[in-house]
Amino acid sequence: MFNAIVSANTLQATLDSVGVLVDECKIHMEEDGLEIRAVDPANVGMVDLSLSAEAFESYEADGGLIGVNLVRLQDIAGMADSDQLVHLELDEETRKLHISIDGLEYTLALIDPESIREEPDLPDLDLPANIVIEGRDIDRAVTAADMVSDHIELGVDDAEEVFYVKAEGDTDDVHLELDTDDLIDLVVGAASSLFSLDYLKDMNKAIPADAEVRMELGEEFPVKMHFDIADGEGAVTFMLAPRIQSN
Amino acid sequence: MDWTEKYRPSTLSEVRGNDKARDALKKWARTWDDHRDAVILHGSPGVGKTSAAHALANDMDWPTIEFNASDTRTKDVIEQVAGEAAKSGTLTAGSSGRRVVIMDEADNIHGNADRGGSRAITSLVKEAGQPMVLIANEFYDMSNGLRNACQDIEFRDVSKRSIVPVLRDVCRKEGIEFEDAALASIAEMNSGDLRGAIKDLQAQAEGKDRITEDDVISGERDRTEGVFDYLDTVIKKAGPQEALEASYDVDETPDDLINWIEDNMPKDYEGEELARAYHYLANADRWLGRVRATQNYSFWRYAGDNMTAGVAAARDGEKGGWTRYGPPSYWSKLGRTRGTRDKRDYVAQQIAETAGVSMSTARRDVMPHLSVMTHHCKNRELTVAMAARYDLEAEHISFVTGSGKDTNKVQSIVEDAAELREELAADNADGAFEGESEAPGIDDEDGPSGDDEPDSGETAAAETGGSETQTTLTGESTEESADDESATEDTADDDQQAGLGDFV
Repeated sequence: MFNAIVSANTLQATLDSVGVLVDECKIHMEEDGLEIRAVDPANVGMVDLSLSAEAFESYEADGGLIGVNLVRLQDIAGMADSDQLVHLELDEETRKLHISIDGLEYTLALIDPESIREEPDLPDLDLPANIVIEGRDIDRAVTAADMVSDHIELGVDDAEEVFYVKAEGDTDDVHLELDTDDLIDLVVGAASSLFSLDYLKDMNKAIPADAEVRMELGEEFPVKMHFDIADGEGAVTFMLAPRIQSN
Repeated sequence: MDWTEKYRPSTLSEVRGNDKARDALKKWARTWDDHRDAVILHGSPGVGKTSAAHALANDMDWPTIEFNASDTRTKDVIEQVAGEAAKSGTLTAGSSGRRVVIMDEADNIHGNADRGGSRAITSLVKEAGQPMVLIANEFYDMSNGLRNACQDIEFRDVSKRSIVPVLRDVCRKEGIEFEDAALASIAEMNSGDLRGAIKDLQAQAEGKDRITEDDVISGERDRTEGVFDYLDTVIKKAGPQEALEASYDVDETPDDLINWIEDNMPKDYEGEELARAYHYLANADRWLGRVRATQNYSFWRYAGDNMTAGVAAARDGEKGGWTRYGPPSYWSKLGRTRGTRDKRDYVAQQIAETAGVSMSTARRDVMPHLSVMTHHCKNRELTVAMAARYDLEAEHISFVTGSGKDTNKVQSIVEDAAELREELAADNADGAFEGESEAPGIDDEDGPSGDDEPDSGETAAAETGGSETQTTLTGESTEESADDESATEDTADDDQQAGLGDFV
């Protein structure tokens, strides 16, 4: 059983966070909220999302699992104005999801969850550096780096106590340093890793400009980025494997 | 459940029949950190390449990303997915974490669905930071660049000796009784193909608890016969019926098969029987011509009857010994004469456009006369006029006149022809572009063909007509009917689509 009413805003933010990595995903409908975990086809980027029941206007579920085509669902959610309410109801008989937005009824055929790529385990990593940064600063760094290169180095200089972003292109370079004044918080540790800009660009799209993003970094290790959606009722973690430094 | 999946080896040590390749693969993986090369596993279908790759990944504890022919493998997909997978570390261990990218059927990346994929893979193996395993049936179907960038390991056909124990194992695990001879003949039938053998075993065992040799023999699968073996059959010993039936297993179309037979049959036949065989081949060819003219492919059966049963029936007795059969010389002849034919067609096309005739008319009725009149450029003035009129280069003049293309004679004709063309162009331009400075420039290019603009539609129609006649061996006059047809089509088109004029 699943029957919920949610604001279009929240639904769109939720779907966008997952949709930047995969086209289809499994959604766990637990009693206390939704949970989604997915990894992209190359096994390089991962998203872990939870949206508590409090984020909904009304929420009823008893622990079912559905598979959805995210592209479709995003399109449907996009039909609603941001302050409209979206009613979602699962028809257990036909295995279809009924979606209604102000009189507009849409019946979405679901995908067999078995056919969707297996959900990864959330790797338990102990990453030394912790940076808390505003979403818009990530956007600045990624946008600038994208002009010169297809990968980006994120790191922390422990001596100077700065978080830095470097992108080296064939001819041009981009460099950005943020010190403790620019950041919300910084825990220094040895950290520098190279990442694919394609993925960071996509993830950046899902990060709200005013979000407080907690970034965990290590030495040639994956990066984790945690931020909240739906006024703190939903939590998203992006994780991205590092590029191998070519020598 | 599919037994080939159920009993797929989970570790390299369970991979059967290719010990050498298996050890080489293990060594490649162990030493990967030193050489960082990709590896190509190649060999016939069903010998265990894919199984070995997955077993290896399992042994090494490498997560896998696999692509096979059912995935879209365009340049973009390969760069994005395989590229990121091969250039990135893992989510659990970062840059030092290993992941293997397995590209199955890597010799089969072509066609529209995989546009640019092959090149993308070649550049990817060079810059990959993770181990990559490419799997292919035909090593040499892959580009040279790709082959050179990778190590390669050949998987040989699995011998019957190695197949039988595997089948025996499977039977024991499935609790099926068997006759040894049954397993032996399954192994025999699948010469070299272990997967095929297991599949056959499962098909035989379906719903039974015992496999006997009799079951096996009746369940043999269809196989294709090589064309050389077939030639041996039809030319040396088979009767008409056998020759015809054996041809069903040959993977050649009648158009190709007739060339194979026609080219090799005279190596064994002589005298009367040779004449009779040619008679049947001529019949077959006539039927093939009808197929082309009418697009009625059911005529293929008559072509097939004639070229197989007919040729076999024409033979006196049986032939012995071994004959070196070869691919049809017709094909290599086409290749060798390509240059000459291109020249001939160019000249014919120029004549056709200028004179408003079909290409075949130009070729059959006009070119021979031109050739005589300008023989060895004796009539120089006429040759220059011809070259100017039809816009011919030195090689074309040489083709028509028979004079060497590098001779001074021909070169000077080309120069004179160019001058003559300019003069003509200037003359034509007099009226239209009087006083305009760029007029000669425009006319240089457009003058002669501009003359014929109204004809171009006709030329196109004539061309189709021309090629129809060329391919029809029966001499039936399809040219006219084809033209008629296109004419009727034109009017039909007019009827369906109202023009603006209809409303004025």
